[in-house]
Amino acid sequence: MKKFIYLPIVAIAFVLFSSHDMYLKLNNYFLDTFTKSTVELFNGTFDKSENVIDRDRMIDVSILQNGERFHPSEDSWYEKDSITYLDFETKGEGTYVIGLSTRARTIEMDAEAFNDYLKHDGVLDLLEKRAADGTLNTGAVELYSKHVKTIVQVGETLSDDWMTALNYPIEFIPLENPYDIHIGHTLPVQLYANQEPLANQLVYLGYQASSTTHTHDGSTHTHDSDESHEHNDLQQFRTNENGVIELPIDKEGVWYLRTIHLVELADSEYTHESNWATLTFAVGEGHSHEHSEESHDEIPVYYFIVVSVILIALLFFFFRSRNNEN
Amino acid sequence: MRTRILLLVLLLSNSFIYAHDVASADHELLINGGLWAYLWVGAKHMLTGYDHLLFLTGVVFYLSKFSDIVKFISAFTLGHSVTLIAATFLKIEVNEYLIDAVIGFSVFYKGFENLGGFKIIASKAPNLLLMVTLFGLIHGLGLSARLQSLHLGEEQVLLKILSFNLGVELGQVAALIPILYAIKFLRTQRAYDSLYKAINSYLLVAGIALLGYQLYQYFV
Repeated sequence: MKKFIYLPIVAIAFVLFSSHDMYLKLNNYFLDTFTKSTVELFNGTFDKSENVIDRDRMIDVSILQNGERFHPSEDSWYEKDSITYLDFETKGEGTYVIGLSTRARTIEMDAEAFNDYLKHDGVLDLLEKRAADGTLNTGAVELYSKHVKTIVQVGETLSDDWMTALNYPIEFIPLENPYDIHIGHTLPVQLYANQEPLANQLVYLGYQASSTTHTHDGSTHTHDSDESHEHNDLQQFRTNENGVIELPIDKEGVWYLRTIHLVELADSEYTHESNWATLTFAVGEGHSHEHSEESHDEIPVYYFIVVSVILIALLFFFFRSRNNEN
Repeated sequence: MRTRILLLVLLLSNSFIYAHDVASADHELLINGGLWAYLWVGAKHMLTGYDHLLFLTGVVFYLSKFSDIVKFISAFTLGHSVTLIAATFLKIEVNEYLIDAVIGFSVFYKGFENLGGFKIIASKAPNLLLMVTLFGLIHGLGLSARLQSLHLGEEQVLLKILSFNLGVELGQVAALIPILYAIKFLRTQRAYDSLYKAINSYLLVAGIALLGYQLYQYFV
């Protein structure tokens, strides 16, 4: 419905063999007010965290709610198995944004390892460029950092924090509140790099049924759902000239976006720099905000039929008896 | 005789057996089903849209000549097609409750006119063809509001709207055929005068009820 060019680059089944994506996740994205909640920080895939994240790697941890941005203390974090957890207490009702930005690290890879990483993590444009340039046989020294966000709904009242930029080197910002949409809606999301829209960037969209997820031993499991094994099938999109992708939200559950913006560096001790971004949110289940189309209550049809028939019959007998009297 | 009349009344109501709204189940069908799905959902919406059907029943109840029926139904079709296509394509959104309240009023209006209400209040009835076209435009806005609540995406938007509209017309024809046959049969009955008054009085009550219900939903 928005004036963005939809780039539904063919939805492909893109299976990640291995990855070191970072995600902020919750077992429940619909929280009560003034209650203790826990955010999980996964480093690995969406389903399984491979390792914890040290506090000194975290440049920024922010919780944005009702126009206020506050930073949880380091004490709020703890680790268990290979997952890093953040405890926080919700305040008033609203749509909260929780973000984490990490310090850049370096990694050195030989040509084969670098090519594999580009292929398996979906950095396909650079892989093609390397092939075209004839540089597939060169290794890389990469500077990388990760910047992740999650959007959660506290209580029933929606707020506008979802549209506020955390000003990370790269970040997804929805153009509509994910908690104000329904199944079947197309959610536009804008990708920013260095506070500018990032055009022509490959982005992957994933999904996980939400209601029965729980985490133990460093991985998330979904039970009692036929859709529990869909979460590794990612849809591929490419941002338009405004950095926008249109996400077809066709199921209730948890949705996540991931992208790796990897560029070549010149005149640097590093050959490449990458900024990784993810965004997680949930749609549908658990929230009861009224949407114009779904809350458009109709008179129950059977009730309407029964009442109509009775009414017509009564009116008929009334008019017939009056005609007979005349 | 009473049994036969009651059966006819039930026949008139037979298209109400489905839910009126475009249910959320249709969303997924439209996402995956292509243009045929839009046609199907459009037809289903008209067949189950009791407010649209009550208005149409009111229109054809008044008419006896086939050429008049074609003329008035064409005017209604033209009216709702114009606003359905234009409002959806131009993304003009109207409040569903308010537009459905006006549609409820159109049902009341037709019953009132059929019962000679304008004569009773010593007023000249507005041109019927003009009113049917006008109410057609209003019904089209209601249909557009429903269509816009669905997943239209960004591709083939016009074709999807046209498919939905074609479905609406097919649904309208499918609904009108039994209604017309039922009215034709009723006209042969001795109790037709009582039935005419009963059904049109029912339109008055139903129209007011729909109007009040939608306004209540809007304000509460």
